[in-house]
Amino acid sequence: MIHEIPNGPQLFQGGSIATESDREAKRADLLVEDGVIIGIGPALGIPEGAEVIDCSGKILLPGLFDMLVHLREPGREDEETIQSGTEAAIAGGFTGILTMPNTDPPIDSAAMVRFVQSLARENARIPVQTAGCISKGRLGKEMAEIGDMHATGARLITDDGSSVQDPNLLLRAMQYARSFDMLVGSHCETPMLNGEGVMNLGSMSYKLGVPGMPAISEEICIERDIRIAQHAGARIHIQQVTTSRGLEIIRRFKNEGVAVTAEVSPHHLLFNEEHLAPDYNTSLKMNPPLRTEADSEALLEGLIDGSFDVIATDHAPHSSYKKNMDFMAAPFGILGLETALLSLFDRLIKPGRLGWDSLVRAYAKNPRTILGLDEATGLKEGASLNLVIFDPEGETQITRESLQSQSHNTPWLGKTLAGNVESVWLGKTRLI
Amino acid sequence: MITRKDLLDIESLETSEVEFILENAKPFKDLFTRSVKKVPALRGKTVLSLFYEPSTRTRTSFEIAAKRLSADVTNFSVSTSSVVKGESIQDTVDTLQSMKCDYIVVRHKASGVPGMIAEMTDASVINAGDGFHAHPTQALLDAYTFKEILPEMKGKRIVIIGDILHSRVARSTARCFHKLGVEVGFFGPGTLIPDAVPEFIHTFRSYEEAVAWEPDVMYLLRLQLERQKHNFLPSLREYHQTFGITHKRFQALREKGTWIMHPGPVNRGVEVADDVMSYERSLINQQVENGIAVRMSVLFSMQPRVAARALGDSGESSS
Repeated sequence: MIHEIPNGPQLFQGGSIATESDREAKRADLLVEDGVIIGIGPALGIPEGAEVIDCSGKILLPGLFDMLVHLREPGREDEETIQSGTEAAIAGGFTGILTMPNTDPPIDSAAMVRFVQSLARENARIPVQTAGCISKGRLGKEMAEIGDMHATGARLITDDGSSVQDPNLLLRAMQYARSFDMLVGSHCETPMLNGEGVMNLGSMSYKLGVPGMPAISEEICIERDIRIAQHAGARIHIQQVTTSRGLEIIRRFKNEGVAVTAEVSPHHLLFNEEHLAPDYNTSLKMNPPLRTEADSEALLEGLIDGSFDVIATDHAPHSSYKKNMDFMAAPFGILGLETALLSLFDRLIKPGRLGWDSLVRAYAKNPRTILGLDEATGLKEGASLNLVIFDPEGETQITRESLQSQSHNTPWLGKTLAGNVESVWLGKTRLI
Repeated sequence: MITRKDLLDIESLETSEVEFILENAKPFKDLFTRSVKKVPALRGKTVLSLFYEPSTRTRTSFEIAAKRLSADVTNFSVSTSSVVKGESIQDTVDTLQSMKCDYIVVRHKASGVPGMIAEMTDASVINAGDGFHAHPTQALLDAYTFKEILPEMKGKRIVIIGDILHSRVARSTARCFHKLGVEVGFFGPGTLIPDAVPEFIHTFRSYEEAVAWEPDVMYLLRLQLERQKHNFLPSLREYHQTFGITHKRFQALREKGTWIMHPGPVNRGVEVADDVMSYERSLINQQVENGIAVRMSVLFSMQPRVAARALGDSGESSS
């Protein structure tokens, strides 16, 4: 599927470009030569010898970047590999991802960072950024070699899915990370409050008879981790915020000028605890869990007003046999890469509840800025081509066969979503 | 008439279906005083009990119910020690489906499993308790027992006392009584009363407040004694004094003529003082007896998919 673009200029003609500054995509053509954008405007002429790509009725948006992806390699190659996961990313309109360190063994050393990066060079058609662990073995006991990992290109440290419980270790790790300007990512929960909980604690957990995880478990940890980061002077990124109070805490610290960024997932925007009834769908089981409808509404406001810097999927492939277990026993986590853009378009952008500007800002520009990636990403003159052509009139069926991912644990399975990722272009290459 | 295949919870039942099951339990109960307690209603049918969680009482109750309906009864033993986390329910159910049983009675520690199994099989699935979620036959037998002594249920009151949070019995029984017009209250330690109970439930801050509400029945839940280890309560002694029917409270109840129910087995000296067990208005033994009649009625009322097909045949062979 790798298509080298022929030499000579190309004109992407007749489409509308989505930018971070306008709610609606705006009519413009895009002229590209040697993988670099050389012209942009509403009615560009066709240069001599240019290949014309008809984009009538299509949306042109910058390639997306997902900063919370589990690729499962090494360790669980039956569930996802770097190759299958990055192909899923491309199919979903992503031209870059940050892979999480909860592999087996975990990415907690420079050697592991190098190993994963070398696998990515061999198997991935998009750049794969790597996150490293805060603690050795993700065990929350001893600090990992953050400096070495930073030197080999790790972009963020996180114990990914395991909140660092020892506040002293977290403080030291943040102080240490600060010396490299390394970003610290926090998955926020208080495990002793969650106990055996597997969904949000509330009327639905009571109704379904399932142990619940209280919102305060997450909120207390958000407050604690930002306070520690503030004290340490480190940059902190709060992963997967799910409650309106959690969002309020982040807003408060942002107003104080603390270097905190925060992220929300498509599934927490689009689903809530009510969707777990009546069938206990394990493809809606994740941690942090789906909360209430009011929380989802608040999260959407947070995305629109910029309190959330980033959208990220928490793409978490699990084999069918594990997800077919009962709701208590099935593992946390759902797929996201192949349905993120489509589901946000279908449920929010198309009905007019979310503008393209928010999507471009939170899903293309900000993740790269926060991670210090210097790839030019905007669709502007002089930038390297990084483009998704999206058909808003099309539709996409999500089936086992359509998924590039090796796993199928998505709540969208069997559904049809509005919109279609028609092609993805990166530099001089057309990826699909 | 009930056309549903499965009994998974009370919530999905129409009130008329609840009433139908209760009405049909009566003729079955009348059998119990005869020398031959059996009817041929389910002759040739197979009832399989699939218990992933240990249970003696409920399992035996279902077994007797099925046998009194002349069904063949098989226990599919899922040894609790060998059930490791991660067993495939699908694989087990595929095996059962191949054995062509007509009814599967399921108990599982995880909420939702009977529903999963119901999706996978043609057999009628009867939930004998799943996690904290539901225990519909317990609720139905409780309602039957209540109705026997208080036939006009509407406007009557019941207070359910104890570990509401971890109780599938409280969930199903409260829902069932509510459907039948009985007012329901919950009382228990703050750690064991969920914040988010359904809006039709009354909650009380003290035992005295619960008594002042003048319930017709006090329904005591069994306390899992290990709750103490997880800081849900400081001691069984305090539980008994604060949330139990102590000897002193019992005497006051007896004067009022309040009825006592309990799903069993009772922790004497925890939920109730010892002398409550011989109280003339304790319905605990009736609950057990009625459990068999109600479960007969449930088995009789459900419609397995295979059975429905067989009924449609002219009798001899199917095409």
